[in-house]
Amino acid sequence: MLSLRTWILGLKSLLLHPMRSALTILGIFIGVAGVIWLLAIGEGISQAAQKQIEDLGAENIIVRSIKPPDEAGASVRTVEMFGVSRAEMRTIESTIPTVEQVVPIRELPQKFIYAGNQNATPIDGRLVGCSPAYADVTKLKPARGRFISSRDMATNDSVCVIAAVLARKLFPSEDPLEKPVYLPEKKEYFKVIGVLEPRNATAAIGGSLAAQDFSLDIYIPITTMRAKMGDEEVKRASGSFSRSVFELTQITIEVESPEEVPRTAEVIEATLRMNDPQRQDIAVIVPYELLEQAKATRLMLMVAFGFVAAISLVVGGIGIMNIMLATVTERTREIGIRRALGGKRSDITNQFLVETISLSVVGGIIGVLLGVVFPFLVIGLRWLTYTFAADTYAKLPDIAKTLQPEIVPLSIPLAFSISVIIGVLFGLYPAIRAARMDPIEALRHE
Amino acid sequence: MSSSTETKPKLAAQIRDLTKHYVLKSETVRALRGVSFDVPEGDYVAIMGPSGSGKSTLLNLLGCLDRPTGGSFMLGGDDVAQMSDDDLSGIRASRIGFVFQSYNLIAQLSVVENIEVPLYYMGRLNRESRKKSTELAGMVGLGQRLGHRPTQLSGGQQQRVAIARSLVNDPYFILADEATGNLDSVTTEEILALFQRLNDEGRTIIMVTHEDEVAAHAKRIIRLKDGEVVVDEQIKDRKTYTAEEIEEISKNAHLANQADEEN
Repeated sequence: MLSLRTWILGLKSLLLHPMRSALTILGIFIGVAGVIWLLAIGEGISQAAQKQIEDLGAENIIVRSIKPPDEAGASVRTVEMFGVSRAEMRTIESTIPTVEQVVPIRELPQKFIYAGNQNATPIDGRLVGCSPAYADVTKLKPARGRFISSRDMATNDSVCVIAAVLARKLFPSEDPLEKPVYLPEKKEYFKVIGVLEPRNATAAIGGSLAAQDFSLDIYIPITTMRAKMGDEEVKRASGSFSRSVFELTQITIEVESPEEVPRTAEVIEATLRMNDPQRQDIAVIVPYELLEQAKATRLMLMVAFGFVAAISLVVGGIGIMNIMLATVTERTREIGIRRALGGKRSDITNQFLVETISLSVVGGIIGVLLGVVFPFLVIGLRWLTYTFAADTYAKLPDIAKTLQPEIVPLSIPLAFSISVIIGVLFGLYPAIRAARMDPIEALRHE
Repeated sequence: MSSSTETKPKLAAQIRDLTKHYVLKSETVRALRGVSFDVPEGDYVAIMGPSGSGKSTLLNLLGCLDRPTGGSFMLGGDDVAQMSDDDLSGIRASRIGFVFQSYNLIAQLSVVENIEVPLYYMGRLNRESRKKSTELAGMVGLGQRLGHRPTQLSGGQQQRVAIARSLVNDPYFILADEATGNLDSVTTEEILALFQRLNDEGRTIIMVTHEDEVAAHAKRIIRLKDGEVVVDEQIKDRKTYTAEEIEEISKNAHLANQADEEN
């Protein structure tokens, strides 16, 4: 007899102990909100990771050069060349039919300074020699001016394109276009022909490809780099001296379509390891495969987070059961009266079930509401920290600054229905216990 | 005796050779050892006996809260002794009017809602029944307090609500268990006057008490000892209230209500 009256009666009984009911609801609502929050965080993390990998390009294959570790006691004179070579790059470009284009990249850590203000402190950045296709493959866009052209390549021009952040640092008060940048270590000048739009860092993938931060880059034609700086790098620091020889730090190979990527990657790997299968100075990275892995990771993340959240829901359910058991004991007399006045066992069961269901439904609804506003809560909290505790904000890890929780739509009905099911499950035992009471004993209860 | 449940039988209850044994660890307690009596309609019976006489056991059986070990208990055309738990609940809701020593009202319900409880379990709640409950509350002098909670009422008032509740389902008999045990002498008079009035109107009352004073108001007395009926006789010098006295007592009670109302 789950009539409207039963529900009204149940609510009345709950309102008789507002504090107790509120605390019980709290347990459920934390559980429900927890499910939604944790899944949203998990989704936010994995979406961010997927985005970073997608930024590497799903149809790209990346070959990185890896500097071999310095052998202890080895003579500095017998320095050997390492990494992927220009010859290998040409082989890949000309022999593999599924390859669309290949972008050579040579990166050097450098200090930069604005030539018009040579007293300024040099800024640490990265000099990147590349071809015009680099902008296309890595999805860099010039905000002003232009990117390196094939004409620049052909003429070995001393021109450069600078990243947005570096542009602001080097030219705090001037327009960087057409201005010279000086490289004190190389004693070379480059003319700025373009400034890029800001770009997010890409994913850190294993040890071979660290997170790529494009914010302090200067791009020059790779031909110019070769002509002016050669293939040998000499580093002199106080008391130490190191040499290394390499032609390219990376080649990015664009394949016709993502479906061709795994096969092409195999062929490239085979080509590069043709002479030495154990070769340690290169790594072939396939973002497409990483993306597949990231999707699998996402599933695991969801399951793990969901499990943690489910535990908190179960704890909430135990809270309900605990309260209902106490309530049943406390209301033994009432149960006796109701039984004496004609209440069946099922009537008593229903009466208590209605109460637990009400508690869990209300908890569920509040939890869902709080779950849905979570992303705004995060933004608000971040803003508060930024505004009132800037120091603390600066010290926060990147993830706390950038993570945007993504509500998983399915998590809302899921969390809600789990809360109701838990309410019923954990309410059933106290309710049955109430119904099982002997009416005579119950009436005698003080 | 009619076997129809629609019309009331001449006998409100018929008990034949009723036994009840409780099996404890090592021994069997024979609480009732074959009790037989009839309760005709309109009777007013006081059941008495010292503790351990089987009085409570008999009360539980009469109230259909328990099933006998042997014998029969005919309530209408049905032998209650053979019924299932759910059927017994149905019988309690429709055929028995309970009045307890400690009133046993439900705290979270108002006066009129308390009166309705048996109807609720019979599934007969409607506008008609609300009207009846309201009338009954008026009849026991609580027409002005329909929305009050039990805790806002005095003991006598609570017991009158309980009596109204016992009448709402038009029971075969009212079963009163020490109904005046928690009340002072004035209020006791009040309740006993109400019982007599109900009895005069044709209601059957079975009253369990240990007070001779109270029992003296009944028409008939059944004394139990060691699980057997030792006395079953009409009371010759029955104490009764005259119509005027009843009028007076209930008026006083209602006046007391009015006074409370003003506070």
